[in-house]
Amino acid sequence: MFLPVTIGVLVTGAVYLMMQRSMVRIVFGFALLSHAANLMLLAAGVSYWRGEPLGGYGSPADQADPLPQAFVLTAIVIALAVTVFMLALAVIGHDDDTKRMPDTGEVHDR
Amino acid sequence: MNPVLLPLFPVVPLLAAAATVLLRQTAFNRLLTVGVPLLSAAGGVGMLLAHRTEPVVAHHIGGFAAGIAIPLVSDTFSALMITVTSLTTAATMIFLATTGEDRYRFVPALALMLLAGVNGALLTGDLFNLFVFIEVMLLPSYALIAVTGTWRRLGAGRLFVLVSLLTSTLLLMGVAMLYAAAGTVNLAALAGRASEDPWTGFGVALVLLALAIKAGVVPVHTWLPRAYPATSAGVMALFSALHTKVALYAIYRIYATAYGGEAPWWPLLVVAVALTMVVGAYSTFGESVIRRALAFQMVTGVGHILLGLALFTQVGIAAGIFYMVHHIVVIGALLLSSGAVEHTYGSGRYDRLRGLIRRDPWVAAVFALGLFSLVGLPPSSGFFGKVGLVQASAATDVPWQQWTYITLIIVASLGSLVALQRLWVAVFFGPDLDTYRPDSPRTGRGPRTELPPQVRVTGRLLAPGATLLVVSLAMFVGAGIVVPLTVDAAAALLDPTGYSQAVLP
Repeated sequence: MFLPVTIGVLVTGAVYLMMQRSMVRIVFGFALLSHAANLMLLAAGVSYWRGEPLGGYGSPADQADPLPQAFVLTAIVIALAVTVFMLALAVIGHDDDTKRMPDTGEVHDR
Repeated sequence: MNPVLLPLFPVVPLLAAAATVLLRQTAFNRLLTVGVPLLSAAGGVGMLLAHRTEPVVAHHIGGFAAGIAIPLVSDTFSALMITVTSLTTAATMIFLATTGEDRYRFVPALALMLLAGVNGALLTGDLFNLFVFIEVMLLPSYALIAVTGTWRRLGAGRLFVLVSLLTSTLLLMGVAMLYAAAGTVNLAALAGRASEDPWTGFGVALVLLALAIKAGVVPVHTWLPRAYPATSAGVMALFSALHTKVALYAIYRIYATAYGGEAPWWPLLVVAVALTMVVGAYSTFGESVIRRALAFQMVTGVGHILLGLALFTQVGIAAGIFYMVHHIVVIGALLLSSGAVEHTYGSGRYDRLRGLIRRDPWVAAVFALGLFSLVGLPPSSGFFGKVGLVQASAATDVPWQQWTYITLIIVASLGSLVALQRLWVAVFFGPDLDTYRPDSPRTGRGPRTELPPQVRVTGRLLAPGATLLVVSLAMFVGAGIVVPLTVDAAAALLDPTGYSQAVLP
């Protein structure tokens, strides 16, 4: 019960933040959304506590499903990389908004 | 054919990318950025030859048991896609070397990482691994869109990153739902299960929706014609050949394998295909920059390619795959040629270009044949692409489908024809051009100056686009070689038992 509610709250916050105009808020929104996706991946396995999924260590019936954990680990790494890149974009945009173009020495012309 | 060689398709470009970062010699980098895609294309041709005797080759990474390991699977469809995408990448890299864009820091490494992601996404037989390879493909693209192009790239780069990231998250949620419902994300194990179990079907549908956004299907296409033209022509050619087409490949593969027939939401697919074909073609009218017009032609091409999936017959899927191969080559040729024009004269706008037919007759020839190909006129690959789709539409049993599809193809082609005539008249006809903006290494384009008579689009700039156009013409003459490959690929998609048995023996 906690898991679906948490996912719902995270997605609500993510959608609200992504509707904002400022890049940093959008980045925060994406952080929330990727957390929601990670929790969904975890919910795809068994969500309550189980034994460590190590070979030769307890019976497979008591062990947790290792696949969703591996999925989440991969997804977290990817989300972190993209978040850092988006924050860099927000800094390059300078005004944290696309209204003003940064001074790159180029002529602003098509 | 030894299946152990399959991981080399993503691994070799990744290692080459690392090598270009460590050894920063321009000549060495150029050798790798052109040589590795050519090597990958040669590998693709080798796979195509091997698939004559052995239709499906599967390798389980790490030697884990089948069903647990991540499988890399190659059949005629993926080998054909690897060959075409790698060839287009090689031509694009030659173009980037000619314009000097590959001297920007990390551009060779980013392009090679992009190729690694594409090859991996085309080969993988596991949906979560598909997500990972799509991310491997997208992350270098985020950086590539930011280093090249006009000042608009920064805003467009944000749009591209945000849309791609939202789509990737959707894809990940689809994979999670699929795993919860089916207990596996191995495509071979999912064969036919999406039509048996509604929850599995829902997960697959969510994955396909995410891929449709990435492919640029109407009504979720609007990001594509805004983001792509803001980057430089070379990078846009790279993106158009790789990103949208990998998404389309995955849609074909997953839809055909997981549903094993028509999906319950098939009418939605037909509506989306119809809208994509027509909206893309008629939106071209609204654009007055060459590459923006071509971006909408990419959208209408996506509709034509997916028409094969909507038909879901062997002839239909084969025609769709042929159209995909043709579209990669022709859009690549046109984008690189328009890039040559932009690099020389400093603009791609209709109102800043005119009379090029007298100045650069060879550019005009390449453009004319490329536009013929987009519209579907001989002597170009587009002719057989559209004839194949019309024939496949006529071969269905249901009369309303026959008429709807054929009418759609004709209406979309007419729209493209008239809209592209507008492009042609504006750029190539009219009085002589008298001012231009010369290329400037520091700021991209210098101030507007009088055009000296000796300034022409050089042969070296035009060569990559012209080469791709020759491939398109060769596909018209040698359609007898390509069509059997697409028919084989279609047969394997319609009957995935061979695929499943190779992955899960």
